[in-house]
Amino acid sequence: MDLDFKIILDWWPLILDGFKLTLVIVFGAILLGIPLGGLLAFGRQSRFKIISISATAFIELFRNTPFMIQVFLLFYVLPFYGIRIPANIVGIIGLALFGSVYYAEIIRAGIDAIPRGQLESARSTGMSYWQSMTNIVLPQTMRIILPPIGNQTLSLVKESSILSTITVQELTMSALIVQGQTFRPFEVFIVITLLYWGVNELIATCLRIYERRLKRRSTLVLAGTSSNQRLS
Amino acid sequence: MNAVDQPLIELSGIRKTFGEIVALDGVDLSVARGEVVCIVGPSGCGKSTLLRTINWLEVPDSGQIVLEGNSVGTVVKANGKISLQSAKDLNKIRSRMGMVFQQFNLWPHLSVLENVARAQKIVLRIPQKDAELTAYSCLSQVGLSDKTGALPDQLSGGQQQRVAIARALSMNPTLMLMDEPTSALDPELVGDVLGVLQKLAEDGMTMVIVTHELGFAAKFADRIVFMDRGLIVEEGVPQQILQNPETDRLKLFLKQLGEMNLAHS
Amino acid sequence: MKFNFSYTIDALPRLLEGALITIEIAAIGFILSLTIGTLITVFRTVIQSRLLNAILAVYISFIRGTPLLIQIFLVYYALPAIDFLPGPGELRIDMGPVTAGIVAITLNSVAFVTEILRGGLAAIHKGQYEAASALGLRNYPLWRKVILPQLFMKTIPPLVSEFTQVLKATPLLAMITVVELMRVSQQIFSANYHPVEVLLGAFVIYFLICFVVSRSSILLEQRFAVRRF
Repeated sequence: MDLDFKIILDWWPLILDGFKLTLVIVFGAILLGIPLGGLLAFGRQSRFKIISISATAFIELFRNTPFMIQVFLLFYVLPFYGIRIPANIVGIIGLALFGSVYYAEIIRAGIDAIPRGQLESARSTGMSYWQSMTNIVLPQTMRIILPPIGNQTLSLVKESSILSTITVQELTMSALIVQGQTFRPFEVFIVITLLYWGVNELIATCLRIYERRLKRRSTLVLAGTSSNQRLS
Repeated sequence: MNAVDQPLIELSGIRKTFGEIVALDGVDLSVARGEVVCIVGPSGCGKSTLLRTINWLEVPDSGQIVLEGNSVGTVVKANGKISLQSAKDLNKIRSRMGMVFQQFNLWPHLSVLENVARAQKIVLRIPQKDAELTAYSCLSQVGLSDKTGALPDQLSGGQQQRVAIARALSMNPTLMLMDEPTSALDPELVGDVLGVLQKLAEDGMTMVIVTHELGFAAKFADRIVFMDRGLIVEEGVPQQILQNPETDRLKLFLKQLGEMNLAHS
Repeated sequence: MKFNFSYTIDALPRLLEGALITIEIAAIGFILSLTIGTLITVFRTVIQSRLLNAILAVYISFIRGTPLLIQIFLVYYALPAIDFLPGPGELRIDMGPVTAGIVAITLNSVAFVTEILRGGLAAIHKGQYEAASALGLRNYPLWRKVILPQLFMKTIPPLVSEFTQVLKATPLLAMITVVELMRVSQQIFSANYHPVEVLLGAFVIYFLICFVVSRSSILLEQRFAVRRF
């Protein structure tokens, strides 16, 4: 078997561009997806039936369908209504919508993990619900949801490869182009695989370090409650 | 009847059910300015629930609460109908009351000083510097001026509860509500907190305290209220309640408490 | 352009055929993956080999760290490019798209299934092994009658969830020319130029399939939990 990894060097600029675009798209999806997830999380609990039902319906629709068909629909629906957006932006929006659903669940779990007493003590001083949330509950939530958010981000990196099917020139698309030009699928896909795997391991390792740090300060969540007191 | 004679806070006809369980079965309570009222009773009698309705953390099914002439939680409209108070008004009147919880509920991501200063800044719109000065003074009052930079998880339970009291005081409330403030503390730490409460009582703070500490109640309460199964069964001055209980239920309660103390000593 | 529902209706018969292929592929893939995953789990528990666990760890890290689409391309495009016989003569692995697709999906799913089973196994009290051994049950009967039933009862929710993931993975096979629901949709709308109507139909079908499957998890749990005493 003759392997020719030199072609990778020849085509490296294209591969690098694809890699960069993947990162940009995932980053954009996180930026859009997390706030959207927050909206969904609170929307689900809303006292207004129409909001809570809409939020739940949105979540169920996006959880029970493949990402690929979501982006395909998005890709073809937008021009249908006369909205012309470049494929890359469609990709970011699609990935953000997909991710938001899982982010919503993570955020909801994070908020529920904060003891009720935190909200009550804030409200008993006269703070409004939102003041209590932004000053007291959400800051505590942020700290604990970082690992699951990180994991979800890993998932988004992998799902981003599907955007190659709607002509986005991210890393997978670059692989297909190079493969088509050089007829050397093995070398090309091995390198692409290693790139994805590398990014994944990097993020996963950072998360592990963070989680270990969090465990040492795990008392932080229960601090300020009677279950954590020194004997002096 | 002039303003001095009017009760600071008045509860009338408070009813509350949790599903099938009747927690409060029509409770009336008045507290005068400067009075220290201790609510006691067996577990499940509704004393905590009653306390929590005062600042509307529990929403009663019916009844009225009036603080300094202002309605809490509900408003009576011109046509006589009762509706829920606006969030803005509710928040405003809550800021006139300070609450201390059994579980302390300090905010772990903020320093001790910030715990005591934050509500002032947000609710009372007091600027940072002034809020911190007040916070400092409140922490001195509870004997913790040296812990301003610490985080809650670095303090003992007694210290955390005192910070919680300082936090409540920082809002300059007219009424302090305490929900079993010492129940979650190790016995040797209880004294510190009781000392702070004693000082508050002596300084004339109006307090409603749900507690098991009958010793404290005996010495510093102006009135003890005994509850059982959602109703106020008996109330009166400590001497009368503790030495000459009238109702059988109170007698039984005191007897059981006595037996428990004997078992522990 | 106006939305024309008749295109959706017209496409339905072919879409449903495609859906059938989707379900078949997902089912075959999942059953294979469950079988292999169970064998691996039993094997690694009985034979406590550091090497085996290390290899598995690398494998799982690889599968979980790379996109499924890339894994599919690796199996379909890269694998046949390898000539296993140096020198004259060739030995290549060549698979049709459907086979390659099922292989890729199975290899992917096995990683998740083994992790699910490993977690479930850890939750089974060690005493089970001891009690069963004491009663004279070894190996095969021990596993078959005592451990595995408990294991599967415990892991029904995550396993059903994994099956849903497999279902949601099938559209990727359209990229290697497998004619399942996604590919059928593409074929239809590239002919009638009404992608929105056709894709909407496919979308709804995917939703119904996955929704029903994920809800059935509760039913399955109830059915198998009846045996509790």
